[in-house]
Amino acid sequence: MNFAIETVNLNVYYGQNHVIKGVDLKIPNRGVFALMGPSGCGKSTMLRTFNRLIELNEGARVDGEVRLFGENIYSGDVDPIEVRKRVGMVFQYPNPFPHLTIYDNVAIGLKLNGLVKSKEELDERVEWALKKAALWDEVKDRLNDYPGNLSGGQRQRLVIARALAMKPEVLLMDEPTANIDPVGTAKIEELLLELKEDYTIVLVTHSPAQAARVADHVAFLYLGELIEVGPARKVFENPEHELTEKYVTGALG
Amino acid sequence: MRKVESFKVATYPAVIIVFLLFAGMLFVYFTNALPALHRYGLDLYLENVWRAAEEPSEEVYGIAAAIWGSIYTSIIAILIALPLSVAYSVFVVDYAPKRLKNAFIILSDIMAGLPTIIYGIWGAFFLVPFLRDWIMKPLYDHLSFIPLFSYPPVGGYSYLSAGVLLAIMVTPFASAIIREAYNMVPFTYREAIYSLGATRYEATKILLGYIKPAIISGTILAFGRAVGETVAVSLVIGNTFNLTTALFAPGYTVSSLIANQFGNAFIYEYMTSTLFAAGLILFVIGLAVNVVGLKMLKRWERDVNI
Repeated sequence: MNFAIETVNLNVYYGQNHVIKGVDLKIPNRGVFALMGPSGCGKSTMLRTFNRLIELNEGARVDGEVRLFGENIYSGDVDPIEVRKRVGMVFQYPNPFPHLTIYDNVAIGLKLNGLVKSKEELDERVEWALKKAALWDEVKDRLNDYPGNLSGGQRQRLVIARALAMKPEVLLMDEPTANIDPVGTAKIEELLLELKEDYTIVLVTHSPAQAARVADHVAFLYLGELIEVGPARKVFENPEHELTEKYVTGALG
Repeated sequence: MRKVESFKVATYPAVIIVFLLFAGMLFVYFTNALPALHRYGLDLYLENVWRAAEEPSEEVYGIAAAIWGSIYTSIIAILIALPLSVAYSVFVVDYAPKRLKNAFIILSDIMAGLPTIIYGIWGAFFLVPFLRDWIMKPLYDHLSFIPLFSYPPVGGYSYLSAGVLLAIMVTPFASAIIREAYNMVPFTYREAIYSLGATRYEATKILLGYIKPAIISGTILAFGRAVGETVAVSLVIGNTFNLTTALFAPGYTVSSLIANQFGNAFIYEYMTSTLFAAGLILFVIGLAVNVVGLKMLKRWERDVNI
């Protein structure tokens, strides 16, 4: 079977702290894969190993392999920049660049990486990405405004458009609704269900309810260890591990 | 609530004193400048003459050369200091090894605090001959057909020397502001730009855009200091009434003019008054630069609201 992401004995250390402990995980191509667990279990850290963004933290050390469509992205000859072109990311705090216009926020990844050849192609791709992110109708008349006046939910969809514009193979989402109101959250979850037809989405969430709503597969991470992984329905209805059961029923963190 | 109110009232005297001092200074400068302003009119600022005479009717003053020198040397200083301070800030925040980071910060803070006479003497004894032999002479020998380089660098005391010295002096100020702002860029924006496949250079470029207000503020502060700097500049600029864009020509600045002439100005009828009028123009330049800077910041705030 073809996996989008596969980790082999993945370990992450922050100085002396061992935060991801020997995780073997297989994330299938297409669909929403939810990484869930209580705060501080290492899920955000793990997500950042999938595009090597973890390397921005001085003192973080990664051990083991992360395979992106079979290729180990931690082997010596892999350029992290090439990895990040293929793996888009959305963050916990909606972070469009406040000093760039809405248009430029979507276009920036394309411009930096020279992914389009002409202004027309850029225009088209920006429109396409904003439509994909279900934001086009709300911003098409003010593409040259700055994102300061957008709501939290709109900003987050702008960030999603920014990531989608580069046509990534995988989309990483780090608790994308943590700082968004319920209406915005519903919109983003709806969007996830549309996007999963074309993309592999790895969603980090601390809410089992959210995982149950949108995920096809889930993994439960606890204190840096992978406790359980499987199809969402199975893990929620018939968990194998006691900890998982406690977590999905809300008895844990 | 009453306690808070009384504290607020306790701050009033300080505010009033600051305001009165500013207004009072302006008043003193203006009244003392009046005789010269009255006699020479706007020519005082637009003409380049300096004829001191014991017979008051033969005295003529016009400080255009000094005004030009102040602005020209400050612009040279900013053109050099801005890239330097941005580069220094980026280096300290992004690249300096953790253990050395503080050492670099302390070093630049010390440089900001050094008495300016220290820079002045170093400038006169080392920087001027160095620039003359290694920068000005080669440029003059090979490129003197360019007007900027057309003045023979005999002594080395010049606009360029003053500009370079000023750049060295104001870089620590500008970089303190830029460095703090760059250091405070929320980590999430760093993550965002790198997640888009940016190289370090590209990421730095975008993040510097994010702190544009700090770069503007740093520039304004640096320009203000450069325009006002007195002792160090008067030691390296040559103190000559020139009015030219030639970089290697000696010149004057308003503050060095005041410092040089004030000692014997009392001998002449209108010279003291002229020097007060020169001081007044420094107020005006400072005000103008700040207004322009505030306008730029306002526009940014209106558009971006971070």
